[in-house]
Amino acid sequence: MENSTQDSLLRLENTVTYESPYPLYAMAISSTPSRTNQYHQRIALGSFIEDYNNRIDILSFDPETLSIKTHQNLSLEHPYPPTKLMFSPSSVKKSNDLLASSGDYLCLWEVRDSASVKPVSVLNNSKTSEFCAPLTSFDWNDIEPKRIVTCSIDTTCAVWDIEKGAVETQLIAHDNEVYDIAWGEARVFASVSADGSVRRFDLRDKEHSTIIYESPRPDTPLLRLAWNKQDLRYMATILMDSNKVVILDIRYPTIPVAALERHRSSVNAIAWAPQSCRHICSAGDDSQALIWELPTLAGPNGIDPISMFSAASEINQLQWSAALPDWIAIAFSNKMQLLKV
Amino acid sequence: MATALHNQERLPEYLNTQLAIAVRSIQWSYAIFWSISDRQPGVLEWGNGYYNGDIKTRKTVQSIELKEDELGLQRSEQLRELYESLSVGEASPQARRPSAALSPEDLTDTEWYYLVCMSFVFDIGEGLPGTTLANGHPTWLCNAHSADSKVFSRSLLAKTVVCFPFMRGVVEMGVTEQVLEDPSLIQHIKESFLEIPYTVAKNSSARSDKELACATFNREILDTRPIPAVECGELDISSPNGNSNGQPAADSIMVEGLNGGASQVQSWQFMDDDFSNCVHHSLNSSDCISQTIVDPVKVAPIFKNGKVNDQSLQDVQDRNHTKLTALDLRNDDLHYHSVLSCLLKTSHPLILGPNVQNCRQESSFVSWKKAGLVHTHKLNSGTPQEVLKKILFEVPRMHVDGLLDSPEHNSNKVVVGRPEADEIGASHVLSERKRREKLNKRFMILKSIVPSISKVDKVSILDDTIEYLQELERKVEELESSRELLEARTKGKPLDTVERTSDNYGSNKIGNGKNSLTNKRKAPDIDKMDPDINHNVSKDGSADNITVSMNKEYLLIEIKCVWRDGILLEIMDVAGHLHLDSHSVQSSTIDGILSLTIKSKHKGLNAVSISTIKQALQRVAEKC
Repeated sequence: MENSTQDSLLRLENTVTYESPYPLYAMAISSTPSRTNQYHQRIALGSFIEDYNNRIDILSFDPETLSIKTHQNLSLEHPYPPTKLMFSPSSVKKSNDLLASSGDYLCLWEVRDSASVKPVSVLNNSKTSEFCAPLTSFDWNDIEPKRIVTCSIDTTCAVWDIEKGAVETQLIAHDNEVYDIAWGEARVFASVSADGSVRRFDLRDKEHSTIIYESPRPDTPLLRLAWNKQDLRYMATILMDSNKVVILDIRYPTIPVAALERHRSSVNAIAWAPQSCRHICSAGDDSQALIWELPTLAGPNGIDPISMFSAASEINQLQWSAALPDWIAIAFSNKMQLLKV
Repeated sequence: MATALHNQERLPEYLNTQLAIAVRSIQWSYAIFWSISDRQPGVLEWGNGYYNGDIKTRKTVQSIELKEDELGLQRSEQLRELYESLSVGEASPQARRPSAALSPEDLTDTEWYYLVCMSFVFDIGEGLPGTTLANGHPTWLCNAHSADSKVFSRSLLAKTVVCFPFMRGVVEMGVTEQVLEDPSLIQHIKESFLEIPYTVAKNSSARSDKELACATFNREILDTRPIPAVECGELDISSPNGNSNGQPAADSIMVEGLNGGASQVQSWQFMDDDFSNCVHHSLNSSDCISQTIVDPVKVAPIFKNGKVNDQSLQDVQDRNHTKLTALDLRNDDLHYHSVLSCLLKTSHPLILGPNVQNCRQESSFVSWKKAGLVHTHKLNSGTPQEVLKKILFEVPRMHVDGLLDSPEHNSNKVVVGRPEADEIGASHVLSERKRREKLNKRFMILKSIVPSISKVDKVSILDDTIEYLQELERKVEELESSRELLEARTKGKPLDTVERTSDNYGSNKIGNGKNSLTNKRKAPDIDKMDPDINHNVSKDGSADNITVSMNKEYLLIEIKCVWRDGILLEIMDVAGHLHLDSHSVQSSTIDGILSLTIKSKHKGLNAVSISTIKQALQRVAEKC
């Protein structure tokens, strides 16, 4: 017992904590190194205040000195909490970093180092007046970085060409609100919805979609989806009010290959490891972040995680970026922590 | 020392067993035979080995089990197999790895270390085995973990390593504890088990007894140590504080605390002062080993009485601990890690596994323990996935509902569900959400239908819709009544028409429009006209009847004429020309007869007479 607390004390030396004045939800880690200091990593944090006035703050993290710097100028206002934040993928060869946020619209911002952040465009899909169905999530395509696919509560998904600022395609994806979406390849994406299904869409055949999985109890919403970018056969999803992380193989639809059931209460976020095809991290209401290694053959008792981290309160967000493969970022209440893997 | 080694020919297959017996008898962790390579002259490579250390998969771990010699041999075999399979895998990545009885996950750190040793080669004179061969004497390295990497680079496992030349190579044996240098031990091994006659100068039987006794002490101490050095029921390597807990240093399997201090290989020299006192107690050896240690770090001294002196042990720990410098794995473990990464085709600590990972103190993560309910977790009484649900369910509503329709309403609904973190709560939220969603959808539809709606909020939508509806109703009535009049004319029921129309002008009027409309118009009510107004109205509906009546500035014009296209416009034009500001126009067409009532106000300076107006209007009416 004491060993492990002493242990965790020691290990806390390697976690970097940032305390924010407000509760946090959305989080993104930049793939583009800062121009001023190439070891600084930019992290964007979105607030979660149940009110109109919310903010997005951009910080820099230095993995060498384990320090986090805030920038006064790099703070944006956002109406209501941003539901997701994401930096442009590393394949974008732009000089300045682009940050995308989803909320009422998909907004793009240009981050000019520590100097300023300017809005670039507001992508509004609505043809009539101002009303546009609010977005629950989006994903930025790594291979075709001009493509962003968004999903919304109006059951549709829209693929944007952000260079033109126009919608390439809009699909009615599900029977119910769509909660999360992820690109697989340049033209393939998958989404999860309140109707309890994971569907895979191919832009070459917009009429049809494949159901990869449906929640066992009908109409249990699936809340989050993560597609393993290192091994595109595998996806992970979480259900509402469930402590399970369901791992799916797209070659074998409807049958999960594994259910990772070691959280002691519901799971809130999942992220595949950017440097390995067999590792995944999950975090939940039990304040734990668990790293799992998926074996080729699971034992009869299920799969155990290989390591764990206990935070101070329920962890709501988890990001594991290819830009910082040794660090996992978590957000709980009003803190963000960077954990060394 | 004069050693006489009998280079007896020994069949290789016995070597394995011999090693096994040898290492087990002194209860050390492993024995390796480095043989001079046939392929590369002048190089020592792995010949044979026996692993006697801790094994992970056995739940009840004792470090030494003499009767399980079979198991031990098998284990070593399996480790060898595994090494081979992994290296095959590395060499030709396409080939499937031949299956080994063990898989990487099953190994303890010590086993890993042992396995990795299989990859090492030493030049003569390089490394501990190399120098041993070169010198031709046995070497005993204490504090191997803090040894200079030139001397001993595989410093992860053993704290004490002994090498002695044997046949065409070097036998290396190691243990994860600190064992005081004892040449008699070596003799003991050689003599008893490897059957090499070994004569030690100045040896007397008495002494050898004592030495044997020492050896026995070793064993006893090992036995009586409350926690065997290598106990690990689970892979809990993560105890960097093992050293500082006051437990014997032997407890930590992995030597996390790599001391910055270097220690040199002991050669057969006299010890420095710190040591001599201790050692002299146990071995009155003026002639034997001494160690030059740069940092006078005490190893666990073994006293004559066989008791371990905990106090000095503590000192040792403290000193060790204070010398803990930042792990510089690169230098010390370069080979180890590179081999490991080759074997596993990756260099990321995550994948290298907990073996490597946890020896890096840097990770924030700890090994997962199943029963590790270390934190008596305060199970949250709130809704599960509360924030996530809010982000997905409520935040989008906030956008739709707008500022006026407050989110508090919605969140109040959720509060009802919140304390019930179970089925009921969830379905409450769900049904609430559905209801709201339906409402919002319908509002949006309404908005798209009614053209006059500009704002998004529900209240304005409803207001605009009400207005629009009323306007539509007016139009409908208007149209309906004019249709009826038309019908009435064709059927010749003027009275009906008159009766049907309700008007404010009294019964004189024919073909009235809607009252409600006139009510809305902000015109002064000229219905109540002064009696001095003269007007004549014909009832019979003959064509071309024009009546103009004037009341101060207000004019009432009633026209009845034949309908033709554009006549209405022309009449209005005329009225305009005559400087009449018409604020009320009612018209209806029945049976081709236009009945028009205009209320207007005279604007302009010159008053126009009634007759003028009448004439003008007549002209229009008569035009064909």
